[in-house]
Amino acid sequence: MSIRWKRLLPRYLVLIVFMLIVLLPIWGMLMSAFKTDTQIASSPFTLPETLTLENFKQAWTVGKFNIFFKNSVIVTTAVVISSVFLSTLSGYAFGQLPMPGKNLLFPLMLLGYMVPFEAVIIPLYNWMDALGLRNTYLALILPQIGLSVSFGTLWMSTFFENAPRELVDAATIDGCNRWQTLWLILWPLAQPATTTLIVLIFMWTWNEFLLALVMVQTEAMRTLPVGLAFFQGKYTSNLSLMAAGAIIVALPTVLIYVIFQRFFIRGMLGGAIKG
Amino acid sequence: MKKFRLTLILVLTFLLLTSACLTQTTQTPVEQAPGETTLVVWDQFYREEESKVIETLNAEFEAAHPGVKIERETKVLADLQMTVKLALGETDGPDVAQVNQGRSDMGALVESGLLLPLDEYVSTYNWGNVFSSSVASRNSFTPDGKTFGQGSLFGVSPTAEVVGVFYNKGIFADHGWSIPTTFEDFEALLAEIKDAGITPISFGSLDGWNAIHEFSAIQHLLVNLDYINNLTYGVNNVSFDTPENQRAAQILSDWAKAGYFSEGFPGIGYDDSNNLFKAGEGAMTITGSWFAPELMTGTDQEFGFFLLPGFSGQPTMAIGGVGVPFAIRKSTEHADLAAEYLDWMISQRAAELWAQAGMVPAMSLPEDSQVDTDNIFGDTLLAWQTINKNNAVGHYIDWATPTFYDTLVSELQKLLGGVTTPADFTAAVEVDYANYLQEKSQ
Amino acid sequence: MKTGRHSYPGENKWKGLFYLLPALLIYLGFTFIPILETFRASFFDWNGFTEARTFIGFKNYINLFSDPLFLKAISNNLVFIIFYSIIPILIGLMLAAILTGQPIPGFGFFRTVFFLPQVISMVVVGVIWRWMFNPVSGPINQFLSLIGLDHWRQAWLGSFEYALPAVGSIGTWVQYGFCMVLFLAGMQRIPTEYYEAASLDGANGIKQFRHITIPGLKSEIGVAMITTMIAALRVFDLIYSTTRGGPGDSTLVTGFLIYRAAILNNRIGYGAAIATVLTIIILALSLLIRRFMAEEKEPA
Repeated sequence: MSIRWKRLLPRYLVLIVFMLIVLLPIWGMLMSAFKTDTQIASSPFTLPETLTLENFKQAWTVGKFNIFFKNSVIVTTAVVISSVFLSTLSGYAFGQLPMPGKNLLFPLMLLGYMVPFEAVIIPLYNWMDALGLRNTYLALILPQIGLSVSFGTLWMSTFFENAPRELVDAATIDGCNRWQTLWLILWPLAQPATTTLIVLIFMWTWNEFLLALVMVQTEAMRTLPVGLAFFQGKYTSNLSLMAAGAIIVALPTVLIYVIFQRFFIRGMLGGAIKG
Repeated sequence: MKKFRLTLILVLTFLLLTSACLTQTTQTPVEQAPGETTLVVWDQFYREEESKVIETLNAEFEAAHPGVKIERETKVLADLQMTVKLALGETDGPDVAQVNQGRSDMGALVESGLLLPLDEYVSTYNWGNVFSSSVASRNSFTPDGKTFGQGSLFGVSPTAEVVGVFYNKGIFADHGWSIPTTFEDFEALLAEIKDAGITPISFGSLDGWNAIHEFSAIQHLLVNLDYINNLTYGVNNVSFDTPENQRAAQILSDWAKAGYFSEGFPGIGYDDSNNLFKAGEGAMTITGSWFAPELMTGTDQEFGFFLLPGFSGQPTMAIGGVGVPFAIRKSTEHADLAAEYLDWMISQRAAELWAQAGMVPAMSLPEDSQVDTDNIFGDTLLAWQTINKNNAVGHYIDWATPTFYDTLVSELQKLLGGVTTPADFTAAVEVDYANYLQEKSQ
Repeated sequence: MKTGRHSYPGENKWKGLFYLLPALLIYLGFTFIPILETFRASFFDWNGFTEARTFIGFKNYINLFSDPLFLKAISNNLVFIIFYSIIPILIGLMLAAILTGQPIPGFGFFRTVFFLPQVISMVVVGVIWRWMFNPVSGPINQFLSLIGLDHWRQAWLGSFEYALPAVGSIGTWVQYGFCMVLFLAGMQRIPTEYYEAASLDGANGIKQFRHITIPGLKSEIGVAMITTMIAALRVFDLIYSTTRGGPGDSTLVTGFLIYRAAILNNRIGYGAAIATVLTIIILALSLLIRRFMAEEKEPA
């Protein structure tokens, strides 16, 4: 064994122990989705003997995860597209454009980035009711956009502030107006920043629970996390079915995370102070 | 406020205009053919066997009423409780919905004028013959929503419930145990079962609400019906801090200490403990008759049901009552049709279907009933008939105050966890109760 | 922010506002004004589904601070700060310390895994751990029996002694990977020459960690503190899907109390008062940590 390995080995051991702590519960849940309840009880972490998708089928149809999934996709898509578009505009306004009252408006927007949903849920609940919007997608989409643009504005304005000045000036000399400069010159450069914003808003919206729990009362309009919470109320004793449901909820965010993890981690580390 | 509404409406208009694609995905009301009426019904019969009964009844109702369509929505009770209050205030809310009895549900809704009083229909449909007055009072409130058990009828319940003891016939037979006839025998049996190395009572208090049944089942053997009525309806200024309640709490906490409940019961959920019982772990479990249908399929064990027996020489009273009632939204345009639907739900046909599904109907069974009663369902039906006949139908005490449920769950978990004494328990619950009485009298 | 830094001669100085307006309106309508409205509602007695609301001044707040449930919930939130914030930061620092120095092949894979709990819905996390902690069929108790520690078996989530630490340690599980990755990223900014110079001066590993690593990570530690503390103060999803505040009120938290008061028990004003207090605590804490970080940075 080389000296290098001798030095590395203890580090690997520590890493592996802490990794197993993270991984085992998730792994156990994943395996459970393919087993029967008795198999889970006897050997929770082993590979399933047969590969059956029966639990997923059950959760998907009987548990109505197909409907929850559709709702989550609609809400998340709408929130992500609108928020990223609006944040690009507002971030551009703060970072590049002349505007009165910046010193006042910026902290105002920042506030939303720090307050929890608990602070707004009660009036929202009553207003949505007054406007007849409860049990509609809009009741989930609009408040989520409100909170997302707060972070999005901050995030995008940092990018636009640091955008190369010469490029913007050159574009202006070439006859681009502000709108054209944004979309033709700066937008292509903003791809890493927007990708990060997309994945973060995607994750926050997909996993949002309190808003979806309170705003939506009909089963047909529920999103996945709320669907799973009520599913837990109905089928706690059927663990393999619960596991399949949990996997359906978690899989999209995990996939997006694994694919875009560079952007993801950068966003989370870049001062993303949202939980 | 007005200014805000204006802003809000401006924002919304902007959104509706710019994101037309989004609004298309929001729900639009179902197109209605002229002459067709849609009755929106919310119920909480989500379990498969229960759901089938409602589906059959709905289909038959539609067949008997051409042009009427029933739009059914099923929710778990907790979900229904949370959502129905707001929904009944809406013009497009459900026409008929199951509304849980008790103050924070039916009481609050009556107080806000959101439920239709059914007095008119009681005579139209002769509901006086379907239910006894004691059953009807369980779905009644004074119009201000303040006094429970009096005033107008606001709902009708299709099913009845009685809390008692489910037992595993196989385990009993193997050990030569028989159904105890007094509470003393019952406690002796618990010790005997424990000595035989079997869990006497399959129970888990993680979800909390079933602990109320566990406590109150014992409480019902120590108090009389008047007390339970007074306590539940909040009349005649009774106290919760009584020697009887303390004694019931003492017994419950002794059982926990003696290890009569499942190992690790504080960390086990209600469904989990039921599943353990169904799988043959545990000789008995104390819960409501609604559990019977589940024990009739999907298991090779055989089960029976008996009422928790009274102390020797004392009468047996049991927690019971009628299930979550169907009520009508006050602002509905189809009040008469809705009332007809309610009558349909408590017909003899409905009674027969519920009995077939293994659920005790609140109505009497038809004379020519085909239902097999030589099983666990028969046991629960007999238990219900017995307490009904003896005027010994108690109450779910968690209806007593709007916060009684939360308080009882929390305090019982403390008692069972050995954190508090029976005296602490009754004193803590009495604080909630006295506060409520005081608030109510103001 | 410097106003008008980017304006061209003759350009309309209001231009930015048009770009900001759509985002601003939605933000005002669905976030900012609701915050104010929550604050306003906290001075009323209102059941939420009738028009009548009564102004009662500070009564909700007075009741709040004499309500043992609220005090219990707040103190539980503080305990959660230990589990969500302090322990994960310590573990993160420890791992970061161990991993300083030469690069570790295959580290990218570890990083991916460590970050995983951050992206999973808290309801899913709750489902996973409700299973792990199940006293009868859960892996934790099974494992304890397997290694002969039968007497260590517990009714974890239902036990008065262990429910709070059990739910809290779920928070630790979620957060420590995040802290570690955050600190490791921060350490890449610390010039290696500092360590080399310290080694030449005879400073050992622990000394280097104290005098180079920790000061160098000041801003990362600040970010980790804000993020994890806010998570600890707003915990709701996890409680909802594991204990619902039980047993007794041993895992009751303010977020759950708001939900119970305002949504389940129709006490809108009271719920709004709790929400206001929670918001103020969160804002104060974030500002405090930010201020602290800014001060520390200046002399450096």
